[in-house]
Amino acid sequence: MAEPIYTVASDSETTGEDRSAPIFPEIAVGIDIGTSQCSIAFWNGSQVELLKNTRNQKIMRSYVTFKDDTPSGGVINELSHEYDMLSGAAIFNMKRLIGRVDTDPVVHASKSLPFLVQTLDIGVRPFVAALVNNVWRSTTPEEVLAIFLVELKMMAEHQLKRPIRNVVLTIPVSFSRFQLTRVERACAMAGLQVRLMPEPTAVALLYAQQQQQQAVHENMGSGSEKIALIFNMGAGYCDVAVSATGGGVSQIKALAGSPIGGEDLLQNTMKYLLPNVESIFSHRGIDEIRRMGLLRVATQDAIHKLSFQSSVQIDVNLGNGSKLCKVLSREEFEMVNSEVFEKCKNLVNQCLHDARVGIDDLSDVVVVGGCSNIPKIRSLLMQKSKKKALYEGMNPLEAAVSGAALEGAVASGIADPFGSLDLLSIQATPLAIGIRADGNSFIPIIPKNTTMPARKELVFTTVKDNQSEALIVVYEGEETRAEENHLLGYFKIIGIPPAPKGLPEITICMDIDSSNMLRVLAGARLPGAHHPATPFMEVKMPTVDDGHGWCAEALHGKYGAAMDLVSLQKKS
Amino acid sequence: MISAFSPLTLPPLPARFSPREFTHVRFRPPQAFSATATASSTAYATRENTALPYLNLQRMPSYTSLYDVLGLPTEASFQEIKSAYRRLARVSHPDVAAIDRKDSSANDFMKIHAAYSTLSDPEKRADYDRKLLRRCRPVASVRMASGFTGYTRRNWETDQCW
Repeated sequence: MAEPIYTVASDSETTGEDRSAPIFPEIAVGIDIGTSQCSIAFWNGSQVELLKNTRNQKIMRSYVTFKDDTPSGGVINELSHEYDMLSGAAIFNMKRLIGRVDTDPVVHASKSLPFLVQTLDIGVRPFVAALVNNVWRSTTPEEVLAIFLVELKMMAEHQLKRPIRNVVLTIPVSFSRFQLTRVERACAMAGLQVRLMPEPTAVALLYAQQQQQQAVHENMGSGSEKIALIFNMGAGYCDVAVSATGGGVSQIKALAGSPIGGEDLLQNTMKYLLPNVESIFSHRGIDEIRRMGLLRVATQDAIHKLSFQSSVQIDVNLGNGSKLCKVLSREEFEMVNSEVFEKCKNLVNQCLHDARVGIDDLSDVVVVGGCSNIPKIRSLLMQKSKKKALYEGMNPLEAAVSGAALEGAVASGIADPFGSLDLLSIQATPLAIGIRADGNSFIPIIPKNTTMPARKELVFTTVKDNQSEALIVVYEGEETRAEENHLLGYFKIIGIPPAPKGLPEITICMDIDSSNMLRVLAGARLPGAHHPATPFMEVKMPTVDDGHGWCAEALHGKYGAAMDLVSLQKKS
Repeated sequence: MISAFSPLTLPPLPARFSPREFTHVRFRPPQAFSATATASSTAYATRENTALPYLNLQRMPSYTSLYDVLGLPTEASFQEIKSAYRRLARVSHPDVAAIDRKDSSANDFMKIHAAYSTLSDPEKRADYDRKLLRRCRPVASVRMASGFTGYTRRNWETDQCW
């Protein structure tokens, strides 16, 4: 047998690379910071429980108010009236902005929010500012997120009487790995170690636990598998998952997500009610912000009412003698938002298709999130799934955070005597990861919906005779053109042995480890050679920082196709 | 059963990959799985090699087929394949594996998942079953088809363990 191996602890376990250490020494809490609402839940020893703030709220508003010196968030801070939130001093919807550059359409759509979102359209982060004592004070989405996290952490520490260091935080499916680094940055600012979990997969885990408990209760074996369609739509994002559940194991078969949500419904409706809304508010004076806020609150209120009644009377005084009086019907609301609903339907179709699951295979359809009460959303999912009823077993606003708390308990290694934590969530990649090759194409190496941990490789070759260097540009996404995907990073392979084009074998391997860390490995050799020509390259991704929006263009401008690669067709 | 690859073929070991507990996992023979839902830690043999966790240079346990990976007979039903996968995932997935074998468990889990994804798909399974019957393709040719030596073993989809 082999000699025992003397081991030295890996550097990555002891340095600040916290996400390579997913093992929680104490039970991690679950946190859901949505675009408009946030909540925190924990495993209390027998079940998941949501914490309440001093105002007895389990679901708190996701905003931060900047006043004088200290910003305060919606967890602790109490607003005398919702309109206070619209004075220009309150920053919200930051989940839609985090990790996005100022050329992103989602950032542009956020410019109608009642505070300052400025863009220069050069691929840098947008400028975000709150109005404090008539001064625009700059902030960042990371800072705002960190403030929520600190407030939630303090609240939990106070109530649970223990320090909170580890959290499972839910994230939208469509977040790129670059966006995840920004979320991790916010967590680090708040002094938290984090495990990130896509929202619908957290819901899927809660579903798996409920099914498991039911199976135990009914004394059934855990052999039967249930396929669930999970639809989660909040203010900022719409996410869909298909999971196969059995014996407490939730296996994610497919994911689909898009930054569409209640905020789009709200903005479309505002535009419908007041067609020149953008020009009215373009100056961003205190008065405009107030009027924009008034319209926003009135529209939001109307949309809520339309979930339970067929029409609603809107009466709002916008100041300056202008007044909006209108009856809005549910049909009108559905008409002005038909594009959003169409996108929702497409996401469901795509997810079912990717999961290779038929309508008849679906055991349950779970609809959660802030938009789950909207009649059109419910009817759309019932139609699509040919079901007469949707799954009723969970609170739509608490499902994601509860699933995150379960994951926190499971990952912390807690055992439950009744088997309530005999659970496992098997995750899949929400987006494909690959490189630019074959001209300007995106060539996925790890396809979308690959079970994680994962490791895949592809072989490429040179485009020029005696090409000694190759540029590896790593992207994440689903688009065929490379630059339409999220840029994660780039590096150069050097020392490719001189050879006619098409001969050298450049192997690109991508590895996602158990802590969701992505590494890209690259090496070049000539066919038949046993040793790589030069040392391997190993690059942790993403490497890009803020303001990377134009890096790809800059690289292209500088090098053209001189360092390109093409896929090598395997001779079978 | 120590693998005999030449250390020269190894890519240089980055400093932070100082050898850790890269326990190599063995599974119990198929019949052992039928009894209980969980395979205890006794199923794991002692480590036999050290390598980069992701550059899976260490030698595979010599499974004869994907069915062996899941501990199932070749005539297993799809239901049995699914249950075996879930049962093994509950033991080998890095989220639930013991702290000292997070890295090797990722490899084990990928192997189990690869076996499951082939065998749970009727078409892929039929295809695989035909190949299994012939069972004559030399390992060397599979190796050559893929990248350089260091990487070949990681291509689960095409480079199975036989």
